[in-house]
Amino acid sequence: MWNVIKKLSIGLVVGIALVGISRALEFPFVFQMMFFGQAMFGAAVFMLLDAPSVRTMSGAKSVIAIVVFYVVLCTVFVSGASMWPQFDPEDEKGKIAKILKPKLAATEQGKAEELIARVKALDEQVKALESRLMSLGGGRAVKESPVAESPVAESPVVSKAAAGDFMRVGEEQWQLQECYNCHKLKGEGGKKRGPELDNIGSYLTVDEIKQKIMDPKSIMAEGFEKEWEKGKMPDKFKDVMEPNDITALATWLSTFKNTSVNTPKPIKKK
Amino acid sequence: MKAWQRSLVSACALLLLFGGTAYAQVSDITPVEFSYTGNRTAVWIVAQLHTLFGAFILGAPIFVVISEWLGYRKQDLRYERLAKEVTKVTVVLFSMTALTGGLFIFVLLSAYPQFTAWFINQFHLVFAVIYPSLFISGTIVLYMYYYTWETWKGEKKGRHIALGVLLILVGMVTLFVINGPTSFMNTPPKAEGVSSQELLASATLWDKIANQTWMPLNLHRIDGNVAFGGFMTGLIAAYMFMGAKSQEERAYYDWMGFAGNLIAVGATLFQPFTGLLLAYEMCDYDFSFCPYMMADQLSMFFEMQGAMIGLMFLAINYYVWLSLKRIEGVEKVRMTILVPIVMVAFPFVMMVVMNYYWIPDPMSLAFLLPLVLAPFLLGRFIPWTVSARTVMKIGFLMVIVGDAIWLTPHGFAATGAKMLPELELPEAWGFLAGMPGKLSAIFTLVFVTVFNYVMYNRAIRQGIIVWGKIDFASQFVLIFLAFTSIWTMGLMGAVRSLVRKYFHTYGLVPDFTAESFTPTLSYSAWWITGITVVFFTILSFAVILTLRPSDAKKQVPEGSPVPARAK
Repeated sequence: MWNVIKKLSIGLVVGIALVGISRALEFPFVFQMMFFGQAMFGAAVFMLLDAPSVRTMSGAKSVIAIVVFYVVLCTVFVSGASMWPQFDPEDEKGKIAKILKPKLAATEQGKAEELIARVKALDEQVKALESRLMSLGGGRAVKESPVAESPVAESPVVSKAAAGDFMRVGEEQWQLQECYNCHKLKGEGGKKRGPELDNIGSYLTVDEIKQKIMDPKSIMAEGFEKEWEKGKMPDKFKDVMEPNDITALATWLSTFKNTSVNTPKPIKKK
Repeated sequence: MKAWQRSLVSACALLLLFGGTAYAQVSDITPVEFSYTGNRTAVWIVAQLHTLFGAFILGAPIFVVISEWLGYRKQDLRYERLAKEVTKVTVVLFSMTALTGGLFIFVLLSAYPQFTAWFINQFHLVFAVIYPSLFISGTIVLYMYYYTWETWKGEKKGRHIALGVLLILVGMVTLFVINGPTSFMNTPPKAEGVSSQELLASATLWDKIANQTWMPLNLHRIDGNVAFGGFMTGLIAAYMFMGAKSQEERAYYDWMGFAGNLIAVGATLFQPFTGLLLAYEMCDYDFSFCPYMMADQLSMFFEMQGAMIGLMFLAINYYVWLSLKRIEGVEKVRMTILVPIVMVAFPFVMMVVMNYYWIPDPMSLAFLLPLVLAPFLLGRFIPWTVSARTVMKIGFLMVIVGDAIWLTPHGFAATGAKMLPELELPEAWGFLAGMPGKLSAIFTLVFVTVFNYVMYNRAIRQGIIVWGKIDFASQFVLIFLAFTSIWTMGLMGAVRSLVRKYFHTYGLVPDFTAESFTPTLSYSAWWITGITVVFFTILSFAVILTLRPSDAKKQVPEGSPVPARAK
């Protein structure tokens, strides 16, 4: 018992000291609690080291002890994992659906799904016409072509771009492809892995930005020689993005001409 | 289970495999909907179970043959008995590996028919010819190895060990072959300026197998399988120790647990480094893997991994602590004061050095090597010494400090995008969450463990081990290590699979299903725990079936020269 009290007291003293020091050093509260928790965990480990020996068990007693031990392990592991901050899959689902939409449309499955959607839309239109005819009591419906009115036949990206919404598609691609993980823009994102891009429009044309996205080795940012050498910018975008989306992203990026931000000078390599 | 029953199970499994391969060629198969689990989790469960059984039957023979060879060389019957007992369990689990392998192909095929057909076509020769042939060869060699044990004794022992080596080789080749398609899904071949689809069309089977992460995965899994085999031996020994009726039996299983654990620890010390190599190659292949794993969606999986590895290293050292207690005369063992000094200084010095001279800068070695070697080279010239107990307690303190460094994240948010200032590590302390910090934590855990084993070695040279008199708590430590190592395997296996994001095969075959997203750590932990429990239940059943106490009693003469007080 004395062992437990002694170790617990030391753990508390160390834990409180760690909280005090980390508070003085302006660590957020959650880190202060983490340090306190680690001090208490350390105390528990030292309690275990000086704990009296466990008596030998056998037969049913040892079987029960093993089963209880497994139950404790499972509970601790599952609850331990659940205590960490959890990523919300809902954040990703919409994004993934948008990224994969053009690819799905190009597959047999996508074509079949599009066909089914069109058939459903047609079916609904026919039903709507039928009810209209019923109310009018006429028979002109057969002359009308519902296909011509179907909005499903058009690619959403193309229609949006055609409507002059190209910039919005470009910005959406910035979010979807998670470019912000490495590049800072408008003061957001970036972990110094890649250059800040607020002034990229002053240095590169739309075609050059497109070239950089499709072939990252073609242009190097000044001061990012190591990253360029190691090929840190993924060369997957030519495969995972649609050409229209790359153009939209490049066009959107080319509008950033904030000279007050120190965007590194691009050096052509190819 | 009798030999004919095991053969029947293996034959059924192979039929499933062949049938699955052939069925995959049929076009227009509609996917089956697995209720409750969903398709992705159903595939995950069977794949992970197959990986666990596979790890056992590949890792155990390496362990068994080394043990048999040691027994032959030292003329120590305990090694011989250990090897034979683990082989008995391996024979039972071999058929389970085949069964889960066949089941895996069928579940994959029914859940993702189009992808499976494409995948099997990419590796048709592997799935239809090479892998089944290797599996059949492995089965034949394993049965030959097991059934010639009694006949190839004495002068013929060398022949039996050679057969064991052949078994290891077949197992290794099987592992290398199946790692080809596995690693291909993460890192298919690519070339600058060529689209992945175009490159794939002209790629040979070898190009697909020898992809960028193939060799790192091979190294990580070989090392992992040896550790796995060792921890499982420890688990078997713990069960048998708990069921032992006599002190002689307890002495033998105490020794077996220690030997199994020793091999496992030796292999575990390399695991973080082979794991880092695999992660490095993944990041080198596509840098977006890196933030996805370490900073965003999977960052908390790595926090959990840090917690699990920290717990494992604490348990490994606690087992050494309990083992030291059963050595008579251990209180006389002392070590130079440089050992605790270096232990305490090591993580901080390493963190500073790594911040200035990052790997592979040789300057880092110029600072760190003399520090590590100081106790060995300068210890004899320094008159101050400390007791083994004190060294170990300081070691425990440093394991806790090392794990605290490992667990310090950039911030308490599941993704970098949702990081708030009140959850983020202050910029001035950012180095604690950076790679130099993590590396210093890993090296501290390894360094302390190595020193503790060096001290244990010194203790057994100066004192006498009283086998069988170990604290009963040690058996729970062995069970804990086996369970935790498997759980961690499951966790990191999930990370390796999830890194593909919304692709079945990265950049080539997108996953259009509704389950194409990153699951939460909590959800993953439930399933990893469930899979581990299923594996443990089957393994425990296999141990009870093959090594039940009545059998052990009969075998006493074989391993009986186990003195209660021996080195």
